[in-house]
Amino acid sequence: MSGDSTETRLARARAALGAVHQKVGVERVPDEAPALPLAEALGALLPQGLRRGQVVSVEGATSLMLALGAAASAAGSWTAIVGLPRVGVVAAARRGIELSRLALMPHPGVQAAQVVGACVDGMDVVMLGPRLALSHADRRRLASRARERGSVLIVAGQWDGANVSLKVESSRWRGLGSGDGRLREREMTVVVSGRSQGSRRRVNVTLDVDPGVAWARPGARTVIDEEVA
Amino acid sequence: MSTRADVPRGVGQATVSTVRRAVLWVPDWPVAAAMTAAGLGSEVPAAVLHGRGMVAVSAAARAAGVKRGMRKRLAQRACPELEILPYDEGRDSREFEAVAAAAERVVAGVEVSRPGLLMIPADGAARFHGSEEALAEALVSSIADYAGYECSVGAADGLLAAIVAARNSALVPVGGSADYLASLPIDTLVLAAMERQHREAVEDLAGVLSRLGLYSLHDFTALPSADVLARFGPAGMWAYRIGRGEDVRPPVLRRSEDDIAVEYVFEEPAQRVEQLALVAAHVAGQLDAALLEAGVRCGRVCIAARTERGDSLERVWRTDVGSRSGAFAKHMADRVRWQLEGWLSGTSQGPEPAPLVSLTVTAQDVITLGSEQAYLWGGVSGADARAHRTLERIQGLIGADGVLSVREQGGRDPRDRVLALPWGQESTPSRRIEHPWPGRIPDPAPATVLVSSQPLALLDAGGQPVTVNRRLGMSAPPTWVRLPVDPRDERMAAARRHPSSGHVGDVGEPSWGLPQPIESWAGPWPVVERWWAPDSTRGAYVQIAVREGPAVLASFSGGAWALEAVYD
Repeated sequence: MSGDSTETRLARARAALGAVHQKVGVERVPDEAPALPLAEALGALLPQGLRRGQVVSVEGATSLMLALGAAASAAGSWTAIVGLPRVGVVAAARRGIELSRLALMPHPGVQAAQVVGACVDGMDVVMLGPRLALSHADRRRLASRARERGSVLIVAGQWDGANVSLKVESSRWRGLGSGDGRLREREMTVVVSGRSQGSRRRVNVTLDVDPGVAWARPGARTVIDEEVA
Repeated sequence: MSTRADVPRGVGQATVSTVRRAVLWVPDWPVAAAMTAAGLGSEVPAAVLHGRGMVAVSAAARAAGVKRGMRKRLAQRACPELEILPYDEGRDSREFEAVAAAAERVVAGVEVSRPGLLMIPADGAARFHGSEEALAEALVSSIADYAGYECSVGAADGLLAAIVAARNSALVPVGGSADYLASLPIDTLVLAAMERQHREAVEDLAGVLSRLGLYSLHDFTALPSADVLARFGPAGMWAYRIGRGEDVRPPVLRRSEDDIAVEYVFEEPAQRVEQLALVAAHVAGQLDAALLEAGVRCGRVCIAARTERGDSLERVWRTDVGSRSGAFAKHMADRVRWQLEGWLSGTSQGPEPAPLVSLTVTAQDVITLGSEQAYLWGGVSGADARAHRTLERIQGLIGADGVLSVREQGGRDPRDRVLALPWGQESTPSRRIEHPWPGRIPDPAPATVLVSSQPLALLDAGGQPVTVNRRLGMSAPPTWVRLPVDPRDERMAAARRHPSSGHVGDVGEPSWGLPQPIESWAGPWPVVERWWAPDSTRGAYVQIAVREGPAVLASFSGGAWALEAVYD
């Protein structure tokens, strides 16, 4: 036994497992839940796409939450935003969220669990704010309900047992100078971890891609001034 | 097509299918409608002012020398007692409903081309009334009797000929339209353009044509059609076909459906919501029965409650009665309860709460069963119906105001650019999005917009507050920014309680976070709004990017900085 090479032992183990599968009649299908459309720029964050039934937690960037739900909304999904009274609606619309299929529930109060539950039942993408009155048991129940119904929960702040958690480590804006320019383009460093993600990894994402940034480089004027001086 | 122009006129006409139509024209409609709305008699000289010029002038004013397009000063000089009325497209169309209804007493179907102009397919109607003269007479007398306006009626083949005939009260014989039009000046084409933008395009075209030496319609329609299309594009081709006496499209007849209203008058004024909800269910049941009896369904429902003091509270709700056949009464009762609860408890705006004397539920946007518009492919999708049901259920849980639908509207700062309404309620944004809004904060829009602005401290390198003077000069480049922290954040609260932070205990000031270094900034951008009104605002905006952190939008007004939005 000890003389066997690793390969033969692995092959034997696989065969034994296959025999058990055949005997019991359970063939584990790979998780093939259909995915909602996702913007191409965010493909690096979620290589498997925005799979239905998932919980995605996002820390530190509301715009990333909106960007995650945008392509799905544009393709016909319904979106509910619960407990985020300060969400920028214009930003949501610019990112591609269809406002006629968007409902806001800014202050669900003590009935947060029922409201979110109803949203999970009826809507495709549900975004949750960080300060909802949800207990741990509520959260577990909601996650399993989302899995069952095939809706996606995008949560601001931490969520235990999220399938994917995205944490914005830092973000850098381009386009601003010292008193000139305007905000144009932003690069974020996002730490991706989570239950179905394997090891943690860092991903750089650029939001609001603006082709004008290349030539409207901030600080260009000041550099020239210094050279002249 | 280009060979067609060489064919003798009569032969060319024979191949074109046109609809014989009668046109009913009320002269100076905007001013006639405005005078009716203002309760003025027809002898008063009046004119409607839009922008910088008069758009319509009444007969009495015209006799006094006021002309269309005149400036206000000139018009008042010509006729000092001139009554100047405001322009209102909605009023024009609303008042014209009476005329359309009066015409429908005589003929079965009419097309309202624009307020002031009705189009009627003449063949059948003329046969029914005996002759076109009899039809015209019946129309004119019906409008005068039931709507109270003077009008003139004409009939011809094709759109333009019929409109010109109506202005001259002429009946052009069958097949005579082309000859009737031939000698008319080129700017007659403008009469056939119904929408404002189209009219402007046709006016431009007519100007170009007359500068090219084409003064009459005959000159224009004698050109080869391929050349017209090549030189003037689709607008030119439209004018060409109209000028030849052809039709571009057949008349689209409307079938008028009146709103259906059910009113309930309380025997003694009611004040309790439960009582009202019961009545609402009863009224809604009646309305449902009335809709069913008429074989129609409605797109919107207006709920109006009238109080003892004579105030009325009215809201319009989007609904789809047809798809919820049995549940309509309960659905309506919920709406009534939401609408009145907020009002009676004084949390939402409206007139002062008082006992109610009557409750009216009106079905609007009434359409015949089976003629509603669905999606191009298939009906309403299952997901949409499911989402609507979900949202209504949540409204039942947390109240109508708890679920909001949002729309973009015009505005300068991010907070103004959103119109939020309870889900299902109808309203039009007061700030038009198409207007230019100079000074608007440029895109990208912030993802977090504070509900109300919070204080913020902007410091220069020496730790002194930065200010902006009246000429938009910054006192120093901003170097540090202190954002307020959440008072619930325990660590920050502890740091604030520490004597080293400068003060002890809660002094009612915002809890400040640590100063953060500013990496880059832009501004100040001035925004001055409504300087003529008491609610005027004057301020300047600055975009600030904090090192390794989010960017923020700050405003300076009244000597203090405020945090408006976060680009997080």
